[in-house]
Order: sequence, then structure tokens, then C-alpha cells
Amino acid sequence: MTWYDSFLQQLVDGLVLGSFYALVALGYTMVFGVIKLLNFAHGDLYMTGAFVGFGGLSLVSGFLGAGWLGIFVAMLLAMLAVGCLGVVIERVAYHPMLGAPRLSILITALAVSLVLQNAALALTGGQYTAFRTELGFGGFNLGNLFLSYNQIVLVATAGVLMIGLELFVSKTLYGRAMRAVSIDKDMCRMMGINVSAVIAVTFFIGSGLAAAAGTMAGAYYGSIWYFMGFLIGLKAFTAAVIGGIGSIPGAMLGGLILGLLESFGTHIPFIGSEWKDVFTFSILILVLVFKPTGLLGKSEVERM
Amino acid sequence: MGNFLKWVASAALVNVAIGPLALAQDDPITLGVQVPTTGSEATYGKDMFNAISLAADEINADGGLLGGRQIELVSGDSACDPQQSVNAASRLASLEVVGVVGGYCSGATQPTLKVYGDANIPFVIVAANSTQLIPANPGNAVMINSTGNDQAKTALDFFEGEEIEKLAIVNQGDAYSQDLANLTRDAWSEAGHTVSAFEYVNKGEQDFSALVNKIRSSGADAVFWTAYYADGGLLIRQLRQRGFQGLIAVGDGSNSPKLFDIAGQAAEGVFAFSNPTADFLPAAQQFISDYNAQFDNSPGPYAPLAYDGLQLMAWAIDKAGTTDGDAIISALNSADGQEWLAGPVAFTPEHTLSRSNFVVLEGQDGNWTRYEP
Amino acid sequence: MNDHSAPTTDEPKPRNLFQRLYAAFESPGRRRFLHAVIIAILIITPWVSSQYTTVILTNALLYVVLCLGLNIVVGYAGLLDLGYAAFFAVGAYTVGILTQQFGINFWAAIPFAIMAAALAGVIIGGPTLRLRSDYLAIVTLGFGEIVRFTARNLEITGGASGLSHIPEPSLFGWHIDNSIDFYYVFVVLAVLAYIASQRLFDSRLGRAWLYVRHDEDAAEAMGINRVATKLAAYIIGAIFGAVGGIFFSVNLGAISPESFSFQQSVLILLAVVLGGMGKIPGVILGAFIVVLGPELLREFGTLRLLIFAVLLLLIMLFRPSGIWPEKRS
Repeated sequence: MTWYDSFLQQLVDGLVLGSFYALVALGYTMVFGVIKLLNFAHGDLYMTGAFVGFGGLSLVSGFLGAGWLGIFVAMLLAMLAVGCLGVVIERVAYHPMLGAPRLSILITALAVSLVLQNAALALTGGQYTAFRTELGFGGFNLGNLFLSYNQIVLVATAGVLMIGLELFVSKTLYGRAMRAVSIDKDMCRMMGINVSAVIAVTFFIGSGLAAAAGTMAGAYYGSIWYFMGFLIGLKAFTAAVIGGIGSIPGAMLGGLILGLLESFGTHIPFIGSEWKDVFTFSILILVLVFKPTGLLGKSEVERM
Repeated sequence: MGNFLKWVASAALVNVAIGPLALAQDDPITLGVQVPTTGSEATYGKDMFNAISLAADEINADGGLLGGRQIELVSGDSACDPQQSVNAASRLASLEVVGVVGGYCSGATQPTLKVYGDANIPFVIVAANSTQLIPANPGNAVMINSTGNDQAKTALDFFEGEEIEKLAIVNQGDAYSQDLANLTRDAWSEAGHTVSAFEYVNKGEQDFSALVNKIRSSGADAVFWTAYYADGGLLIRQLRQRGFQGLIAVGDGSNSPKLFDIAGQAAEGVFAFSNPTADFLPAAQQFISDYNAQFDNSPGPYAPLAYDGLQLMAWAIDKAGTTDGDAIISALNSADGQEWLAGPVAFTPEHTLSRSNFVVLEGQDGNWTRYEP
Repeated sequence: MNDHSAPTTDEPKPRNLFQRLYAAFESPGRRRFLHAVIIAILIITPWVSSQYTTVILTNALLYVVLCLGLNIVVGYAGLLDLGYAAFFAVGAYTVGILTQQFGINFWAAIPFAIMAAALAGVIIGGPTLRLRSDYLAIVTLGFGEIVRFTARNLEITGGASGLSHIPEPSLFGWHIDNSIDFYYVFVVLAVLAYIASQRLFDSRLGRAWLYVRHDEDAAEAMGINRVATKLAAYIIGAIFGAVGGIFFSVNLGAISPESFSFQQSVLILLAVVLGGMGKIPGVILGAFIVVLGPELLREFGTLRLLIFAVLLLLIMLFRPSGIWPEKRS
């Protein structure tokens, strides 16, 4: 492989990885937008989505097969179920805390994350579950560049979901309400907007997107386990921050940038694979310190 | 909450009381079993515990030790975590067990060596085999699994036999796999070959595409994965998916049928270095059927060594003729070819197994088979 | 024991065991008596219990030091730190490297370890303490992971296997090497941490933390330097963590990156929240619960972590100020 082919290959791989980050980052950003909460449990919703998707696939694979069709149906099931779980979490754990000090809400979010993680640990015994599908290894070569069909389907699905979300937020009534709530909750209440319902819808969509990413990741990589949400949760948060937390296009952009950074970072001398995550977290810290609004975020006059 | 406090208090009292009770009862011989029965390695731990209890039952049925004393096992869950295993080890030490059999995760086994050393309790380490354990051993422990050095040697011989020149080594950044990776890298460069890539992955990471590209562009003829099956399965899958044609070999941590679950088709033709598993041991056929009958399951990769560990401990106690720590420790070290399931046991002056027990396996039709070049 | 300061009559009558305990701690005379009883129990325990109990209690006392340290950051100053294990690691590794690889005497290495932790506190705290609290939480989490990965990747820290054969210290001819010796060392550390926490709480700085926690802007208007106050909490917390790490490393004789994971940070935080952020006896109780709990729950296997997590969630929802909350208003 020449450096040029290698460059293209990494570009493609970075985009695939970046789509996962972007899908998960969207949930962080949306929830943060409406209730200013860093939802620590978001990565675990991704994990839960993978397990529900796995269960869903074994239900439907009998008549739909375990190819992309079956996986799509399983993914929709997972989005629905985990979306509802997200709403329940918001109602049970976050809603009563909205007036509490920020520290308490953060710790509650952490507690929810630990509950999900350890529930999955107890249910699976900490074992890896093989996510078996009928997806082949097929693909085609463009010159020296190898593209698998799975990668294409994956990026396309992520793209469709993100475009759908963007349309929802910019064109529909609920989307407009969502944006209004993120600007001023009290004013919305006075204008007759059902703020609770808007928050619930936001959680539903954000959690559903995480579940979609979880199911696709499970199917694409082939194995799932209880701790799979931790690392991607952190990285997706990093992506959301790079793009500007609270900004939906920012989350997409941040996800892709982080995916590319990781893909190319492995090849930078002295950064190597062992320093890869140190590199990612350093970027997170640097962005937060020097440009906390990220690339596309609006500056926020708030100090906590 | 008041109830909780009472409960804590009463449970603490029970704990204090157990010590003297166990002491008072002089008749059975209490042996500790230190394996992870919870946590991510619980499957292996439970399997080892089963094999050990099978061995204890056989000895007890044959009339026990030291003229009719029965063996009694106490479990100490290491959870594959250094701090937890120290807690478990000090619990076993407090119960004044005569000896301890077990040790699976090297990182969790290492700090317990001091606990048992201070209490002068003989310890047969059955699976943990990082070379880091050797200098940490105060002299009361023996290792019956071949160490990382032996595995690195096996790997060197194998890769040379397959005429590999450029080797990529990937580990998972934990004590065991980093140790094996370092040893192999040193042995491989010393033998005059090229280590074309030396890489880490983090446990739980799913996307190895950048790593695979790096390995491919490094021109490696072969990839050696030194860590566990779960992430190894993913790596193998992505290597083959992206058209890596070279040879792939995995260390003994990946020697699990589950590798085939995760990697699927891609695991065909993958080689594994392995300590002797029951299927490939002629002496273990009876053991397999007994194990199956009792636990309704096939023995896992470390079951034969765990079984041998208890047999060795029992042999040493009988040879010493006493439950005194020093006598048993010197009896253990005097082993000269005693043989149960996994071949003859004898030790080097460093208290490690004096021969390499590694064999090479090959993945065929979703199973490991013995590979003879 | 005579009670010099009887409770005034208008105080509500204490009802259950817990309320009586609270009440006991609120009056100075009884507090002194309780201190004496607790010290006596701590001294006697290893002679009447098994080695196992001693080791577990040593562990609990280590957590007391760590939790009191984190309590200064989270409870006093109100800053969420999700990477506290990093300071614990800095202390442990500095001593491990200096004593084992450079042959420096253990006691001589301690000041270096403390300085290293304070420096780490400044490096991470300096630029980030101006951030919103949830950003700070994630930055500290990232910092914790960076420290762990660095320890894993460097040669001097022994890689993933970590350092072993860390020599045991001696003090005026007393060779500290068995579990009972270390138990007493940790008793002393925990008592020191307790006294220091108490003094800090009552100090000028302690009141500054309180103001900053409740209303930063008002605090600043009153002439309190917000960032310097927070940074002080950070550095002092880091030093507590480092002290825990220093003695942890010689007690175990071996350290590896796994001991300083995110889970470790979470466990310490859990203890602080469980017991009651800001309240010293509560935090100590929390430390004992997170160490003794898993030992008592051994039979539950993997469920024990779930039980802890659910407990944490319930506490946050129904008793957000912890089992033994702070009362100062």
C-alpha cells in the first residue's frame, strides 16, 4: 500500500467510526440542550440498545433472517424500547432532581449509569455475547481502497438518521418547541408549551439514536458486553464537546472529526496505539479549557 | 438503616467467630481455593473450582490424607482484581488453611504471594503464568503452568517453523498479555527477525480498523495476539475482513471455544499456543467423563491443571506426613515427575515447571485441533 | 461518663439509634468520649480478631483517608471530581519508583510524593476550575484515565504489571511489615486525616469553601478569591489522596494500573455521597460501608455491585444529603 492508499483507507475508516460517535454524541447534545444535564448514563443506553437489538434479532431472524433486513427491524425495536427506557429514566431519576444543585444531578446520572451497567453485568455474568448475523465480509475495491458493503450500509443508515433528526428539529412543531425549551424553559411554559412532553421526546430520540448505534455496532463488530458503553460514551461526549455541546450539527461534525483523529492518530509516531486514548482525552481537555463552546456551539453566559 | 448497622455488626461478629471455630476442628484438612468466581473471568474460575473439587472428592473417597483425614475446600474469590484477591487471601490465611491451590489472573495473583508467604502457607499456582510472578515468589509457591518464557519460546519456534520474517505483536495492556508480548518481541528480535508492529488495544474497544491498516501497511507476515479471546475474536474478524492474508496466532488466553463464536469464519486456520487442555491429554479421558457427569459441562482449558494442582498439594501433604507449612513446601519442591493429567511435574530452582507444556492448536470447523507441522 | 453539656430542652427528642448517634456527635463532651471509645476499639481490634478482619479494616481505614480527601473537594468545595484515583496513583507511583528503582528511603520519598500530587492538583485544577461543574467532572474523568494509561505505557512505572518488591519501611528500628503493623499505620493516618478535615472545616478556608459552594458570585463580591479557594481544595484533596497512595503502595508491596481505575474513583465518590457530602462522620461511615459491604455481600456475587448502584440511586433520590448529612447552615 502506498501512503496515498493508506490515507484514503483511513479516511473511510475514520468516517465509519465517526458515524458511531456522531450518533451517540447527538443524544448527549440534545439532552444537554433541553435540561443542561450531562447524561452519564447515555453510553449505557448504547450498551442496552445493543443487547435489546441482539434480543430483537433473535426474535425476528426466524422469518426475516439475520441479514440487514432483520438487523434493521431489530434496530427499530431497540430504538423503541431504549427510547422508552430513556423517558422512564428521565421521569424517575432526573425529573425530581431538576431543582436540586447541579452536583446532585450529576451524581444521580452517574448512579443511573452504574445501575444499567451492573444490571447488564449481573444478567450476562460479565461474559461477552457473540452477536451473530449473516452479514458477510463482502465488499469491493476502488483501486487499492477496500470498501465493505457493511460499511456503506452503516454510514448510509447513520446519515439517514441524522438527516431525519435535522429535519425533525428544524421543520416540525416539536422540533421548534425543543429549540425553544433549550433557550428558555420558563418562557416556554408561559407560552403554553408542554415542557415536560418536550423533554420526554428529547430523551426518547436521544436514547433511540444511541440504541440504533449500539445495535449496528453489535452487528458490525460481532460481540457485545456490559461495559461497551463506557469508552464510547466518553468519546462521544468528547465529540459533542468538540462540535459544541448543545449544537446538533456540531455533534455530527465532532463525531466525524474525532473518528478521523483516531484513525490517523494511530499512525502518528510517538502517539501509537498505546497513547491513542491519552491523545483523545487530551484533546477533550484542551478544547474544554481553550474553547469550551466547541466549533459550532453558542457562547453561554453561565457559570456554575 | 438501623437494621443495616445491626446486620453489619452481626456479620462482623460471625467473621470474627469463624476463625477460632475452624481452628478448633482438627480433623479435616482445610485447603483454600483462590480462583475468580465472580467478575469477567468467573467462567474460568468456576471451571477450575469444579476440577479442584472433583480431585478432592476422589481423594476423600480413597480415604483422604494423613491416615484418613478428609480434605475440605474453602473458596477465596479473587474476582481477578488485585485488591479483592488480597482480601480473599488474607481471609484464607486467617482461616489457617493448610495450603492454597489456584491463581488464574496473574495481576491478581501477584500481591497474594506476599500474604501467603508471610503466613508460610504453601501455594500451588495452577494457571497464572506471568514471569512477573517469579521474582515476587517468596519461596512458598510453585507454578505448575509453564510461564510466559516458555510460551514465547514456543511462539518463536512455531513462527520460525512457518518461515515468518515480519511479525506484528498485539497486546491488551494488562499484566499477562503485555508480559507475553514483551517476551516474544525480545525473543523475536534476538533471533534476528523483524517486529514490524508492536501495538496495544484497550479492553472493550470494538473498532480496530486503524490498527489493522497499520499492521497491513507494516507488511507483517503474521500477527500474534497475546491477550484474551473476547477482543481477540474481534481483531481476527477485522483482520480477515480487511483482507489480511498472513498467519494469525493467539496466546493461551485466547484458547477458548468462544473465540469461534465471536470471530466466526475468520477463526478458521488461526493457531493457538495452549497449555494442555483435556481433549489433547490421553490421561484425561476418564476425567472428562467424570467432569461431564458431575457438572453437566465439558472441562474448560484450565481444568486439568487445576485438578493436578490439588493432586500435587495432596501428594505433598502425604509425603510431608504433617500439615506443617515448611514440610509441605519442601515436599512440593521435591516433586520429580509425579504425573496426573497434564504430564510430569518437577520444578526449577525458581519454583516454575521444569518443562514447557505448550502445544500448538489450529482452528478447524469451529474447534481447536492439535497442529503437527 | 459524665455529660457536661446536657442537651437543651427545646431540642427534639432523639428517637432511633441513628438520631441518638447524631445527637451524641453534636455535643462536644460526648464527642470526646466517643472519640476515646473509638480509638480504644481501633487499638484493641487486631488482638481479638482474625488477620482477615485486620486486613479488611486496614482497607477501610485507607478508604477513610481517601474519602476524607475527596470530601474536601466534593463536600466542602462542591466540585465533582471523577478522577480522584489519579492522585492516589501519583502518590503510590512516586513512592514506588523512588524507593524501588532509585533506592531512596521511604520517609525521604514521602515529601516528593506529596509535592508531585500537589503539582498534579495545580496542573489539572489551574486551567479547569473556571469551567462549569459538569465540564469539570468530565475533565477530571479524562485526567484520571490519562494518568492510568500513562502508568500502563511507561517503562519506569513497570507497564501493565506495575511495580513489585516495593521495600517495606522502617521507623526508628520498627520494621513495618506485617498486617497488624500496617493496620496501626493506617489507624494513625485515618486519625490524622480526621483531625485535619475537622480543622479545615472550622478554618477560614473552610468557611470560604462554604460560601463558594453556596453562591460563587456573592462569595466573590465579599472578597473571596473564587479560583484560589477552589484550587486550595483541589490541592489539599490531592495531598490526602497521595498520602493514601503512599502507604497503600508499601502495604501491598506491589502496585499496578488496575488499582487506579475509574471504578476506584467512583467507589470513593460513592462512599462520600453515601455517607453525606461534607459531614466527616458520615464520610467515614460511607468509607466503612463501601469496604465492608462487598465483603459481607460476598454471597451475592456479581449482584453486590448492582446493589451498591441501586443504593446510590435511591440515596440520591430520597436522601440526597446522605445517610449522615451536614447540618451547618
